[in-house]
Amino acid sequence: MKLFGWFALFFLLAMIVIFLAIILGDAAPWYFAWIIGTGFLILTSAAAGMLFDEQEDEAAHPQKST
Amino acid sequence: MINDTVVELSRWQFAATALYHFLFVPLTLGLTVFLAALETVYVVTGKQIYKEMTQFWAKLLLINFALGVATGLTMEFEFGTNWSFYSGFVGDIFGAPLAVEGLMAFFMESTMIGLMIFGWDRLSRGQHLIVTYLVALGSNLSALWILVANGFMQDPQGAVFNPITMRMELESFSALIFSHDAQAKFVHTSIAGYVTAAIFVAGVSAFYLLKKRHLELARRSFRMATIFGVLSTIGVITLGDALGFIGAHAQPAKIAAMEAMWETEKAPAPFNLAAWPNQDKQENSWAIQIPYLLTPLLTHTMDTELPGIKNLIAHNAERIKNGIPAVEALKKLSSNPNDAAALAQFKAHEPDLGYGFLVQRYAPNQDVSQATEANIAQAAQDTIPDVFAIYWVFRIMVALAFLMLAFFILAVIYSLRNEVEKHPWFLKFSLWLIPVPFLACEMGWLTAELGRQPWTVYNLLPTWMSASSHSVQYMVFSLIGFVGLYTIFILIEMYLMVRAIKQGPDQHDAHPTPSSGSLGGSVLASGAAPVHAKALIVDSTNKEV
Amino acid sequence: MELYLGLKILWWLLLGVLLLGLAVMVGMDMGVGALLRVIGKTDLERRTMLNAIGPHWDGNQVWFILGGGAIFAAFPLIYATAFSGLYVVMLLLLWSMIMRPLAFEYRSKIPTARWRNIADWVFLISGALPMIIYGAAMGNMLQGVPFHFDWDLRSYYTGSFISLFNPFAILAGVLSLMLAAFMGAAMTAIKTEGALAARARSVGSLAAFIAVALFAMGGAWVASMHGFVLTHSVDPALAQTPLTQTVERVSGALLAHYRALPILWIVPALGFIGMVLGGLLLRVNKPAIAWWMGVFAWMGVLGATAISLFPFLMPSSSVPSQSLTIWNSISSQHTLLWMTGFSVVFVPLILWYTSWAFYVMRGKVDAGKIEKDPHAY
Repeated sequence: MKLFGWFALFFLLAMIVIFLAIILGDAAPWYFAWIIGTGFLILTSAAAGMLFDEQEDEAAHPQKST
Repeated sequence: MINDTVVELSRWQFAATALYHFLFVPLTLGLTVFLAALETVYVVTGKQIYKEMTQFWAKLLLINFALGVATGLTMEFEFGTNWSFYSGFVGDIFGAPLAVEGLMAFFMESTMIGLMIFGWDRLSRGQHLIVTYLVALGSNLSALWILVANGFMQDPQGAVFNPITMRMELESFSALIFSHDAQAKFVHTSIAGYVTAAIFVAGVSAFYLLKKRHLELARRSFRMATIFGVLSTIGVITLGDALGFIGAHAQPAKIAAMEAMWETEKAPAPFNLAAWPNQDKQENSWAIQIPYLLTPLLTHTMDTELPGIKNLIAHNAERIKNGIPAVEALKKLSSNPNDAAALAQFKAHEPDLGYGFLVQRYAPNQDVSQATEANIAQAAQDTIPDVFAIYWVFRIMVALAFLMLAFFILAVIYSLRNEVEKHPWFLKFSLWLIPVPFLACEMGWLTAELGRQPWTVYNLLPTWMSASSHSVQYMVFSLIGFVGLYTIFILIEMYLMVRAIKQGPDQHDAHPTPSSGSLGGSVLASGAAPVHAKALIVDSTNKEV
Repeated sequence: MELYLGLKILWWLLLGVLLLGLAVMVGMDMGVGALLRVIGKTDLERRTMLNAIGPHWDGNQVWFILGGGAIFAAFPLIYATAFSGLYVVMLLLLWSMIMRPLAFEYRSKIPTARWRNIADWVFLISGALPMIIYGAAMGNMLQGVPFHFDWDLRSYYTGSFISLFNPFAILAGVLSLMLAAFMGAAMTAIKTEGALAARARSVGSLAAFIAVALFAMGGAWVASMHGFVLTHSVDPALAQTPLTQTVERVSGALLAHYRALPILWIVPALGFIGMVLGGLLLRVNKPAIAWWMGVFAWMGVLGATAISLFPFLMPSSSVPSQSLTIWNSISSQHTLLWMTGFSVVFVPLILWYTSWAFYVMRGKVDAGKIEKDPHAY
């Protein structure tokens, strides 16, 4: 099950991130974390959209050239 | 004399109106931020599809926003109408964040949302992007100030009791806004909104992918929502843990109830994975335990002792006894603010003033001076909230959060490989997942606010004392009114939301023909004539897509 | 301690600014709603009217929300006592106000005549009722409301719901409705053209002239009413509760300040001038200046009320000595200082971006565009 492998890996990664954030969070100012986090969230999601367009272009391009 | 039934009905009314309001808030918090991300792509890449996406999701946002605003009006006034003693007692400190919310956040959000919807042709791209960002910022700053106010109820920081004016007064504004509970709760709630929006967008996009409609819009939206969602879900779980960590210090009774922890266990205490709490017997009928887990989970240490419910009750009974003289002294000060002996007595017992108030409910003639040992014992039992409800409500919320995390991780994988459309079962699952974040948010509210009982302001003001002195008839009237109106509202909202989703984004080529424009004016004359012409056109566009 | 007294007076004035902002901005939208069926004859005309305030009503409504929040923060005892005492009235106000955003957002989403008719009636009710209640509440404050306090400042309202709608309160309520209708009509006249604008102008000036008559009647009535006088109280500069003062009811006391300081007559005069000029300017097709005259009319009406009551905010008719004044219902110095700081920063900012929003959306509403724009109201 290749899919399951990926899933488990990412799930593990997510848990590690949560764990690290919790450790940092004991000392961290959350308001500040929120501002930075939301900013990055917007940029990452925007990048995800652009990545999609890249993938589309890449998939479409070979067809056009042939 | 305070009437138990009136208090109980006031609580039901507040819970009903707040839970209802909170059905619409999270989606607004998240979708405004998501729109900012969408429009960012539009401005950066200049691709028209992202403008259409922004406009489409904004249309759905607005349907939701209208009810959020409308039901928010109720909340802003309900403290005064139904919790007048509370309002007078803490208004000096609790009112300020609500006023600042209006000044700083809600004004900006509401003014900018008008420009966001109607300003596309009148603003430059950059200006419009800024407006959209300000809407997102405004909606979340609103949440910030509301949760600063709520943080004060959970863990009253920055206020001191003034025996001359007989109310809590602001001592430190920074202590109020930087209260740990307020900080963590705001970020938790805000990000819970992001998760809600991500599930909503992913679900609606999955619907289009299933129906093979609006594919360009749906694929991009799905991709962005999954990334947006997976990061947010990680954040929301992290902050949930932070809240538990903060609560373990500030609200031991709430934490004990959330974990159904009756006895003080030796650290590290076991974690009740599942249990059947019985409040009368003060024990769990059965429990599945994981040893040693609870202490590190809550305190992030291995050796901090967590007090069990039975210990808390015994401790609180002492505080009640110590609080009664504070209430008696206050009564004397009320008629003579210069009574030095009374002031000294009050100062000596001040930390337990709230606990003194607590026994008023059971004391003969509601006079704390006449309270007996039995009354005090009864009031001490009250200091523990409903364990069964809180234990399970909390667990449902956590389980739903992890369900959404699992979903998003799988969705990210599928979306990045561009194979999500090959799995119709997954698309259907996405669609069916839409109600889940809303449910989880409601459970979160219940955990926080049920767990706060029996206090409106933790350790300071009992819920029982906080309500307005209305008659039962008034309360029944208003409760029925709210339930009736709100039911009608949600039916209309759901209908319009489903309709707008089924209609999909505006197809610019499929607009009604110009002739319909002039038709509309004359056919609709006096608003009473039939509108078949226009309805037909709308129908035909529906069928076509 | 002088600082505290200064802050108390400043926040009394700011409360006035807030009530003025509410009356002008929310009142204007309410006026449009109430006149929707009167001025707008066809669906398109009604949609044109709605879109005239469409981009702004959401922002304007925040004056109402801010009103609630600021009274809570600055006058907690007023917030607690007035809102719980006037319970049923507050509910009617809230329920009608709740329906308005929905009517706005949802009216044009469903293209059937029946639905839109329902929405139009909702606009009528949710426009007229809140303005009547707003005015009636002011009218009741002038007369005093029956309430008293326990030793711990728990308030009890002892009147009935119906007694809040006494003749004087109804007069004040209709006056408030007329001013709102005038402002709504002026806004419609500014943003629309042709027959619709002409109808708005004639209805608006009629409302202004009715308001003149009502305001004059109200003034004459106030002269003969019982007012309230503080006979013994703690120094206004000190923190206090309503339990440590004595108050007497005196006939004609509502005009005492005017008798003592005749220059104050300027304030009600400003109201009359605003109404008369507003009505006339609307007649001669100068709706923008007429709108500003409406602002002066509101200033005059609210200012005259505030001067009559000073230093009272909510007198008690049943136990006058427990009346709420500026001195005993206001927040602590520390809270007022912080709130002043926030207001100094944010009120100018709000005024700036609200004006910017009106500037961006300037010009007449294009009826043709409404038909095509799926986002239009």
